[in-house]
Amino acid sequence: MPVWHDTTKQWVKDGKLVLLGVTQEQHPERCRLFAQWKHFGWPILRDPINVLGSNAVPIVLALDEYGIVRSTRPNPKTFEADFLGKSFADDATNKPETPTPSYPPKFDALKAACANAKSASACRRFGDALALWGGDEQLSPALAAYREAVTLDPKDGASWFRLGVCLRRRSETSARERDDFRSAVEAWGAALELDPNQYIWRRRIEQYGPRLDKPYPFYDWVADAETAVRKRGESPVTLPVRPDGSEIARPSKSFATRIEVPKNPDPRGKINRDIGSVSCEVVVVPAAVKPGQSARVHLTFRPAPKTSDHWNNDAEPLRVWIDPPDGVTVSERLVVADKSKLATSSEDRTIGFEVQIPKDASGTLRVPVYALYHLCNDAGGECRFLRLDASVDLRVK
Amino acid sequence: MSRSHLFSLALLLTAAGIGTPATAAPPNVGDRHPDFTLSGIADGKPVALSDFRGKKVLLIQFASW
Repeated sequence: MPVWHDTTKQWVKDGKLVLLGVTQEQHPERCRLFAQWKHFGWPILRDPINVLGSNAVPIVLALDEYGIVRSTRPNPKTFEADFLGKSFADDATNKPETPTPSYPPKFDALKAACANAKSASACRRFGDALALWGGDEQLSPALAAYREAVTLDPKDGASWFRLGVCLRRRSETSARERDDFRSAVEAWGAALELDPNQYIWRRRIEQYGPRLDKPYPFYDWVADAETAVRKRGESPVTLPVRPDGSEIARPSKSFATRIEVPKNPDPRGKINRDIGSVSCEVVVVPAAVKPGQSARVHLTFRPAPKTSDHWNNDAEPLRVWIDPPDGVTVSERLVVADKSKLATSSEDRTIGFEVQIPKDASGTLRVPVYALYHLCNDAGGECRFLRLDASVDLRVK
Repeated sequence: MSRSHLFSLALLLTAAGIGTPATAAPPNVGDRHPDFTLSGIADGKPVALSDFRGKKVLLIQFASW
């Protein structure tokens, strides 16, 4: 987009042209930081659920004064001669205007249409209104509407995709429910099964997927942008959800593993087991893996809510040991989580690693893992060193 | 449900707030672009494509990645 920004800057300033962006990403505020970094002053709209129905980006359209498309592939070098300097007539009179969607949406009418029409499209539209205009507090009703849509029509790929977007969004809020992220990945997978050529949907999985599947690193530019904005004496846009792990990992053409194998920190399983203080959520992306291919595993460790258990950050950080069965390759055997700079904290701790499954794999492969961590409790002032066993199930396509 | 009833329902739902398709190829040259309303990333305020009627618009769908 920097090319169009530079090309059109003077025309926009002179009032000859409106540059209007629509960002097709899960976290639109990241685009806001990008716009700040690149000095984009033009309006950019958020479309995290792809309500415009686009199947790729970028899409650049030149629209005349009547909203009629005059070019679907404008050329920056000839834009002035081909479009800006030309006069157009309203010659699409046989194609009537679509009504302008009302704002705020009429939620009650949309809800009634979903309930009465019993059609996937009516329920999808209700979900869209809630997802776009309802804020985080309407995510659960939006999910219910999308679930109703895919129940009515399991082949409604757009509803599957939007269900995944809202599940991932909710997983990043305090209202998260167990397995929201895993369910999001399942929903995106269902959407892509229905339309493998929908690249907006594909990119959403790749954002959280293995390096072998990545077309680019997605958000590795964020740190550079923040540094550059600070150097200008400005405060960078605050990101409510910072990209990390798979979202900033660079693509790879071959499966990378660490050559040295570290020592198993608890080979005989002697460390005391954690019973109910910390939970482990396991998400595999993609949800089902083809034989010979790779997946990204996300493990999130979460101190139980409504307890005073918290991480002891004065001690060594949370570590995860991975013990793959024969034939399964993992990117690393021992992964260490980042820890807070505070002495104690109770945030989620997420680690990631990648697995490659054998070419002759079938069914479900189970990879045992365990985590070791230091946990303290305010109530008794007790600090413990604990082990939590879990397993990663790899579903083979 | 007849075709005319389906069309009426679609118009009603569009006017109720959401008027865009589930998936769609970009409009062709000569088509009037369907109107839509989305919120701005800067201030969250609603903006409709038709707000810019009477001006030439370069509409860019993109992502920061």
